[in-house]
Amino acid sequence: MPSGEAGSELAPDEAARLAARAGLPLAAARQDGVAAVANHIHSVVAVLRELDFGDTPPASAYQVGEDSRVAG
Amino acid sequence: MSLADLTLAEAAAAIRTRRLSPVELTEAVLARIDEVEPRLHAYVAVDADRARAEARAAEHGEIRSPLHGIPMGLKDLIDVAGTATTASSRVRAGHRAEKDSVVAAQLRAAGAVLLGKTHTHEFAYGLTTPQTHNARDPSRVAGGSSGGSAVAVAAGAATFALGTDTGGSIRVPAALNGVVGVKPTYGRIPRDGVTSLSWSLDHIGPITRTVEDAALVLSVLIGQTEVPDGDLTGLRVGVPVNYYFDHVAPAVETAVRAAVDDLAALGAEVVDVEIPMTRYLQATQWGLMVPEATAYHERSLRAVPGDYAEDVRVLLEAGELMSAGDYLRAQRARTLMRREWTRLFETVDVLAAPAVPMTAVPAGQETVTWSDGTVEAVSDAYVRLSAAANLTGAPALTQPIGTDPDGMPIGLQLLARPDEEAVLLRTGRALERARLEAARSEMTRSKMAR
Repeated sequence: MPSGEAGSELAPDEAARLAARAGLPLAAARQDGVAAVANHIHSVVAVLRELDFGDTPPASAYQVGEDSRVAG
Repeated sequence: MSLADLTLAEAAAAIRTRRLSPVELTEAVLARIDEVEPRLHAYVAVDADRARAEARAAEHGEIRSPLHGIPMGLKDLIDVAGTATTASSRVRAGHRAEKDSVVAAQLRAAGAVLLGKTHTHEFAYGLTTPQTHNARDPSRVAGGSSGGSAVAVAAGAATFALGTDTGGSIRVPAALNGVVGVKPTYGRIPRDGVTSLSWSLDHIGPITRTVEDAALVLSVLIGQTEVPDGDLTGLRVGVPVNYYFDHVAPAVETAVRAAVDDLAALGAEVVDVEIPMTRYLQATQWGLMVPEATAYHERSLRAVPGDYAEDVRVLLEAGELMSAGDYLRAQRARTLMRREWTRLFETVDVLAAPAVPMTAVPAGQETVTWSDGTVEAVSDAYVRLSAAANLTGAPALTQPIGTDPDGMPIGLQLLARPDEEAVLLRTGRALERARLEAARSEMTRSKMAR
């Protein structure tokens, strides 16, 4: 498992504050579990920072008239 | 042999020539459901009255497709007008779909008979489908998230089924239960009316008992023309030198390499290939799926959080903490991967690899320890070899190629260029036929020896 940058781990109360900012109140009993999972997800996705994207656009870049078969 | 064990191709041929009635076939499959459901729990709901009525209508109607009068199950993320789409979740209590999903309407128009809705890992967010049991050994996981569909087809409790696949959710349970699963090219089958896990990665596809059967279902859903039989002369089959055989159970590797040898014996040219950007596969998968799933569930996570199973709820909550930067890096990494994989497919026509690194584990087992001491979550292991096809959008199938020493099925995975389902099906079908013919001549030899 790739590790996130040092010092980036969220403490349970920080996870709760960020969740509240996203409009999701987290009861005290849930904060440890959510912080642990959020830290694990972060450690996995942080490896993408190694890539030099240059001018690469996101795969989801909007295309007018996109095929309606891929709708929702 | 019960009619419930007929392949779709056999049943369709018999229905076409009026040697088999859709009513007889549906009754046989309903009887099988009664027999196996108490131990397998493949279905959320079976509507026998509806199935009988549709079978009677099919018996009297003009034959409309190879699926005419064929009893099937739909993963319970797929809307059918007037019925609940439960997503195997309490969150959907009281749900009622107003109209058919595009795929349900296609199957209805083709004359297929709906048996019921099959279990999914809750909202497709997991790889085991804990409420359902493996068809070969009920003490083991069904795989997921389309666990109910794969188990139903493997047990004769549906002649075919549809599943969905966001990181392997058709191919993983198909491989673990010894059946065929196809994830077509991204966007090829319309997702309208199908509950989403991750819009960027979701695919719909068939689960069947043979590659030939999968081709018949796809002929209705994407208009795929018939798959030509014959040898594979000129076909370039890539075998990965990295990633796909790392941390793979020895029995799985042996079976996959034997299948590659069989493809070579059929005329294919086997080519070693290097898989690009493997370090970034899981990161890109999670970077897309986690925030998209959380976005889909935004309202119900706030309204009825206690109605989610704990494993799904905590993932949805943690997804709230991902940044737009994380998501965009994943979207941009996906663009890079598509470019690299386009280059890879300039040198080969098909890629052959294991579908999953190990066979079905006992229910409740959470980690697997590899021979070098590495410990991996079971769900991470099951998704590891599947996710690349979701990220690139390339079509992929799994088909059974043997069993491990415990008798649990092993699946081969084949991948092809986008929109080249026909190449995938032709390759899988050639292997399937060769294996069948070899088994038949072995049987004849042993009979003569007696």
